[in-house]
Amino acid sequence: MRAFVFRRLGLATVTLVGMSIAIFVLLRLAPGSIVDLLFSAAGYVNPVEKQRITHELLLDRPIVVQYIQWAGALLHGDLGKSYRYDVAAARLIGPRVPVTVELAVMGMAVALLVGLPTGIISATRQNTALDYGLRIFSLAGLSMPAFWLGMLIILFLVRVAGWIPPMLYVPVRENLGLHVLQFLFPALAVGYRSAALINRMTRSSMLEVLREDYVRTGRAKGLAGRVVVYRHALRNALLPIVTVVGTEFAFLIGGLVVTETVFNLPGVARFLVDAILWRDYPVVQNLVMLIAIVVVLSNLAVDLLYARLDPRVRYT
Amino acid sequence: MSRADAVASAPPAAVPAGRRPRFGAFARRSPLGAVGALVMLVVMVAGLAAPLVATYDPTRTDAAQTFVPPGPRHWLGTDHLGRDIYSRLVHGARVSLAVGVACALLGGIGGGAVGLISGLAGRRLDAVVQPVLDIMQGFPLLVLALVMTAALGPSIGTVVVAISVPFIPRVARVVRAVALGVRETTYVEAARALGAGGLRVALRHVFPNTVAPLVIMTTAQLGSAILVEASLSFLGLGIPEPYPSWGRMLSVSATEFAQRAPWLVVFPGLAISLVVFASNLFGDGLRDYLDPRLRF
Amino acid sequence: MTHHASLRWIVCAALTGILAASSAWAAVPAPKHGGVLNAMHREDPPSLSIIEEATISVNWGVMPCYNNLVIFDPAKPQETPQSIIGDLAEKWDWRDAGKTLAFTLRRGVRWHDGRPFSSADVKYTFDLIRETPGMTARLRLNPRKLWYANVQSVDTPDPATVLFRLKRPQPSLVMLLASGYSPIYPAHVPPAELRTRCVGTGPFKLKEYRPGELIEFVRNPDYFIKGRPYLDGIRFIIIKERGTRVAALQAGRLDIMMPQEGTRPAAEQLKKAVPSMLVTVTSQNINDNMLVNFKRPPFTDPRVRRALSLAIDRQAYAQAVRQGAAIAGASLLPRPWGLWGLGPSALAGLPGTGNAAAQKTEARRLLAEAGFGPGKSLRLVVSTRAIALYVDMATFVIDQFKQIGVDATLEQVESAQWYAKLTRGDYQMGANLTGIGADDPDAAFYENYACGSERNYSQYCNPEVDRLIDAQSQELNPQKRAVIVADIQRRLEIDGARPILGWDLDYFAMWPYVHGFVPHNSVYSEARLQDVWLSR
Repeated sequence: MRAFVFRRLGLATVTLVGMSIAIFVLLRLAPGSIVDLLFSAAGYVNPVEKQRITHELLLDRPIVVQYIQWAGALLHGDLGKSYRYDVAAARLIGPRVPVTVELAVMGMAVALLVGLPTGIISATRQNTALDYGLRIFSLAGLSMPAFWLGMLIILFLVRVAGWIPPMLYVPVRENLGLHVLQFLFPALAVGYRSAALINRMTRSSMLEVLREDYVRTGRAKGLAGRVVVYRHALRNALLPIVTVVGTEFAFLIGGLVVTETVFNLPGVARFLVDAILWRDYPVVQNLVMLIAIVVVLSNLAVDLLYARLDPRVRYT
Repeated sequence: MSRADAVASAPPAAVPAGRRPRFGAFARRSPLGAVGALVMLVVMVAGLAAPLVATYDPTRTDAAQTFVPPGPRHWLGTDHLGRDIYSRLVHGARVSLAVGVACALLGGIGGGAVGLISGLAGRRLDAVVQPVLDIMQGFPLLVLALVMTAALGPSIGTVVVAISVPFIPRVARVVRAVALGVRETTYVEAARALGAGGLRVALRHVFPNTVAPLVIMTTAQLGSAILVEASLSFLGLGIPEPYPSWGRMLSVSATEFAQRAPWLVVFPGLAISLVVFASNLFGDGLRDYLDPRLRF
Repeated sequence: MTHHASLRWIVCAALTGILAASSAWAAVPAPKHGGVLNAMHREDPPSLSIIEEATISVNWGVMPCYNNLVIFDPAKPQETPQSIIGDLAEKWDWRDAGKTLAFTLRRGVRWHDGRPFSSADVKYTFDLIRETPGMTARLRLNPRKLWYANVQSVDTPDPATVLFRLKRPQPSLVMLLASGYSPIYPAHVPPAELRTRCVGTGPFKLKEYRPGELIEFVRNPDYFIKGRPYLDGIRFIIIKERGTRVAALQAGRLDIMMPQEGTRPAAEQLKKAVPSMLVTVTSQNINDNMLVNFKRPPFTDPRVRRALSLAIDRQAYAQAVRQGAAIAGASLLPRPWGLWGLGPSALAGLPGTGNAAAQKTEARRLLAEAGFGPGKSLRLVVSTRAIALYVDMATFVIDQFKQIGVDATLEQVESAQWYAKLTRGDYQMGANLTGIGADDPDAAFYENYACGSERNYSQYCNPEVDRLIDAQSQELNPQKRAVIVADIQRRLEIDGARPILGWDLDYFAMWPYVHGFVPHNSVYSEARLQDVWLSR
């Protein structure tokens, strides 16, 4: 077990290093630089000034040197300075992380609240009209562009209620109710897709477990249907659900980008896209690494959880 | 061993020899899947026959016919430049489906190849490939696609590559797991014992067993690819004009005029949802039909 | 909707706007102090340094922090030489036959950090922009250096007097100084710092700038005009998604729109949803135009340039791309919005404004003459920025070209590369927007049409036109100057220097409880907001 954990940790480290190189190189492949963009607002490009700024930002150094400088600083916890805003990248990223995390968590909560029960119902009422209805409902969630759903929600709210969630972030201590409302609608838009995935996963794994011998035995022993479903079947079906929740995170980011945009939430996801368009290397690189760390760690956690819960998994 | 292996750790259901997939049997087994297949077929045909089916030139602007609501002349109305939405949707079907299919195929073939090789070629190569796949999978799909379109410049080719590359590791993992499973089975060992070479084993015994999961994953990706393209368009990096991809129709100026002319937003959104919905139905049906034990 | 109907709409709306303004003035409700204004903003300003940028995103969002020497009267919708009032300057007058402009400054003005303001700050500001030798402070970007190319020196005989000594007379200088782009900077703060904070003399102090979210100002209690500003503060709320922005205004999350953001469909829809919403129709002093690369064949052939300009039906353009919210014009803001622009009769003979079908026939003929026809169709690439409005422009133009047999394709360019590409001359045609800092020939001509100017992207260069530009600039007789200016505009359109597709109108919306904000005919100078008050 210990060897397994170490091996996975080692792999995670290799993954992160590889990722840092990948993002670093990809970004520099993109034509245009922050310097061009700085000029873009002024409507002209002055070659002499451009060279000066390039030098100021150390962008004229060899790419390997740039990478080592960045990676070295990152290891010391120094996120560098945003080219775009001329302030410490940490100051920009810091306050945005909780917003995105909260949206992701609330989205996941919505997904679980909707996905689990409907999945269980679908499995226990397999091939009934209710099952079909719920499956179609969940498939619809997988089929809609997240930003479209968000847009429709805003349109609907403003048309019907003449009200939309606040456009500025409302801290919890300021107004708890409004804070929750602010996150509720985007969480619905984000969570629907994940709800659909969880519904499908729950349904299929429940079905499989329900067919297995020990469940049949339980039934034969005279355990009530409900007890069988909840005590035995669900517990065993949880494993793959955990997997989905874990791996859904990387997908979730995509949904968060557009949802934060539509609902004007000051999270990291939307900020990352802007930073890419602005070629704000320090912000993009560090944010991508942050996301990568979260994804790699959540993958690792899922793997470990899996290893713990399922004795059939071999540690190699 | 990671969870992907565990999911498929039970010996995979081999495709029974001699059974050819038939649509009739498929439709009986999975009526919803058949509906999905039909919808996709209809949209595909409409897209291919776009110049015949469309009522207007999809790029023709008409200053006298802006924001016309759906009606007999313009079935689904016109946009702010006076272009016919229905004709643009039909032409857009070409673009969106082409992107979907191209991404699914690229991802499927790439992922299939990587998965097969890494599952069969032995530990050393596998140890190199796995971290690379981990790296690729760690990137959020949309972010990777964004950075790539930014790096390569917006064009159809770029968008296809940017969307399909992140699919590769997802497919590869599943295929690798299946390949690993098959490698351990007795009949492959028997074939080895009889002196069959590595390539022969791969082609004759392992590959057929990976077809089912490959087909299923590829179908699922078709839908995802269309959705990712739409999101890219929304963020300003999708397929550029004049190709009227559905994502682009839904994003460029549509959001701004959504309240004034809801049909600008409703119809392209419905088109995307419908096709992705159909491809999901079809994929589910295929899974039930080909390999009920698989789930991802 | 027909052209006439749309014109009628515009005139009616303008009249009601004027009526509303004058009746509001007649009723004279007593201004109330207090309250915070929630103003729409579409994006982060590129920086907070107005002098270093050239976009409305900086003026709208930073102007409340600063003062100019002079400013266009916020209460008057049209900016003219007569509407200029003192800001940091109490009075000003021309001397030496129009070669010296003398300002007398207000006394007792203090910077937000408590330091006293003096004529040294004024001299510093303009020496900074003119990049006077010996200046240690430097601007990173300097888009308006050209505006002051005619200034010989800025002298300060005493702390309350500033003399602009000119190489030749330039009556427009006051107009340039009154633009929102001409704030006075503090000499004691390095210009680099002003990109992230602001130290001004203005009615509001910067409280907080949260990138991507909010620019927040609070009342400057020591402002030099007693009793101003009325507001306790301003929040510029940044909302990047267009649909959400309009929804936020409708739902009351915002009190007032951002200039340049008022499209006609949005305004009509807002008015329908909230009938009491105040919508004012005005111009922006921004035009939509086509860039033509003069250095590249076949655009070196004047027949090709003329044909392409003729092909674009300006009236249809305004209707389709701007939903009727644009008017035809040449290189200066057309009347009645502007002072100098060519009127309908003068425009009638210019490309794109007559009978559309006849013009397209003429265009085909010219192309055939230049050697392009059915056998050998002209192929070209129209480049534009990957921004919705730009793409709409290019899409429309390409379709118009198609109708004269020109096979044009669209190239979308990310903002990161756009100006670099233009400056390199690496394009054939471009769909572009040009904003003019003040409704003035000097502000428009030197920047966009003079030989060698950095923002003359088409690299149009006509020595005769350059000579005329200088001639009008120093002409002291307004009537004579107007004649030269009209002549220049005609030449520019005939040469196809930068074919103007339309001048954009702004359908500016705000809630009825917002008072004291009058949208100007130019978006760049109206955002001081010291007279705005709320009756909420």
